[in-house]
Amino acid sequence: MKPPKFRYVAPRTLDDAIEHLASDPDAKVLSGGQSLMPLLAMRLAAPSILVDLQHVPGLDGIEDQGTSVLIGARVTHREIERSSVIAERLPILSSAVVHIAHPQIRSRGTFGGSTAHADPSGEWPTILLAVGATMHAVGPRGRRTIGADDFFVGPFTSTLAEDEILTHVSVPTTRTAWSFQEAAVKKGDYGLALVAATGTPRDGVLLDPRVTVGAAVGSVRRLAEVERLLAEAPLTEAVADEAAVTAAASIDPISDIHGNSEYRRKLVASLVRRAVRELTNGA
Amino acid sequence: MSITPEERLDVSMTINGRRYRATVEARRTLADFLREDAQLPGTKLGCEHGVCGACTVLLDDLPARACLTLAVQAEGRQIRTVESLADGQELNPLQRAFREQHGLQCGFCTAGFLMTATALLEENPTPTREDIVETVSGSLCRCTGYQTIVSAIEQAAAEGQTDTEGENQ
Repeated sequence: MKPPKFRYVAPRTLDDAIEHLASDPDAKVLSGGQSLMPLLAMRLAAPSILVDLQHVPGLDGIEDQGTSVLIGARVTHREIERSSVIAERLPILSSAVVHIAHPQIRSRGTFGGSTAHADPSGEWPTILLAVGATMHAVGPRGRRTIGADDFFVGPFTSTLAEDEILTHVSVPTTRTAWSFQEAAVKKGDYGLALVAATGTPRDGVLLDPRVTVGAAVGSVRRLAEVERLLAEAPLTEAVADEAAVTAAASIDPISDIHGNSEYRRKLVASLVRRAVRELTNGA
Repeated sequence: MSITPEERLDVSMTINGRRYRATVEARRTLADFLREDAQLPGTKLGCEHGVCGACTVLLDDLPARACLTLAVQAEGRQIRTVESLADGQELNPLQRAFREQHGLQCGFCTAGFLMTATALLEENPTPTREDIVETVSGSLCRCTGYQTIVSAIEQAAAEGQTDTEGENQ
């Protein structure tokens, strides 16, 4: 279980990092390495150059900007876990972070790394899609922003270009009704099913609800039928049940050694029911 | 900057208060650096892909899996390994508690548990049993069934003594 050979650079500026990344089509970004290193150990990835971002300034920090919080790509899961700004403004992140592996991983793994990795069972992709976050990227062609709906496009696949670096994620704080649910064999394991639901409560109904599922399906995705249902009805217990049935009918879950498709379908239904109940409390 | 695939890089770091320097391949993990280059074999390698926790060390005082960190990423950093705990033949209170509570049998996972627990007790000297379970959940032990490990950490916490020697070196 030793990584294959690669070259390594630790640039001191973002411009240098972009230059290295653009210099070779197989160059890859190294942030916390907590997903990349296992891939290297199992020889599932063979990058030519690793561009380590640890000395690149400006990628850290959690900044309250009023209607959103700007999170630097190099912020670790541990920093999210201990941030008072996150606890106060984005409690959905605080509730989810304890599901991310274990303390030894959370001290090294980064918010931006997990986001760019776009693991279908990733807590951050599932939540960022549910809150409609905005990704900030920079590359040889300049800076751009990418909405979550246009960012996560498949398993381990985002629309971040090979020569672009995710620098920050802007997470809106206006969706004050929220729920995050995860089912795993044991805490810290990869989830069997993840559900995130958010919306803006107003006069007993939920404006612009967003409901996402991760882990149980091939890539993180929204549950449009469930969202429509929640947008049209007051959040009653009956609606929670209907949302569960609707969710189960609208997905084609994966099967593997940890759980077959039908089991995961039931898990997602249960998690959606719980999520809608929590939204009711939030609204 | 000229770089070649055979490139070897100079890396130096402080391990248990001593400066270590070596020229290594970029792909050298911190775990292999500790065991092979620094000749500190107390850190054990189980799965080598971040699952078992046996190789947990403290990197700038935070628990980290040494198999999921490259040696070159630890350039200039402070590392503490299990070798930092005892004073010669004198076990520290946490190690003693592991022995007294039978918190180990074969011992292969023990260095990882000890370093994980060291970090926990430095951050939170009065953890609940639940805090301890949560913290050590990132390490696998196939001998003990975990209860004795949790009890050992509880005992060390109750004694109110964590080893802080590593910090002062």
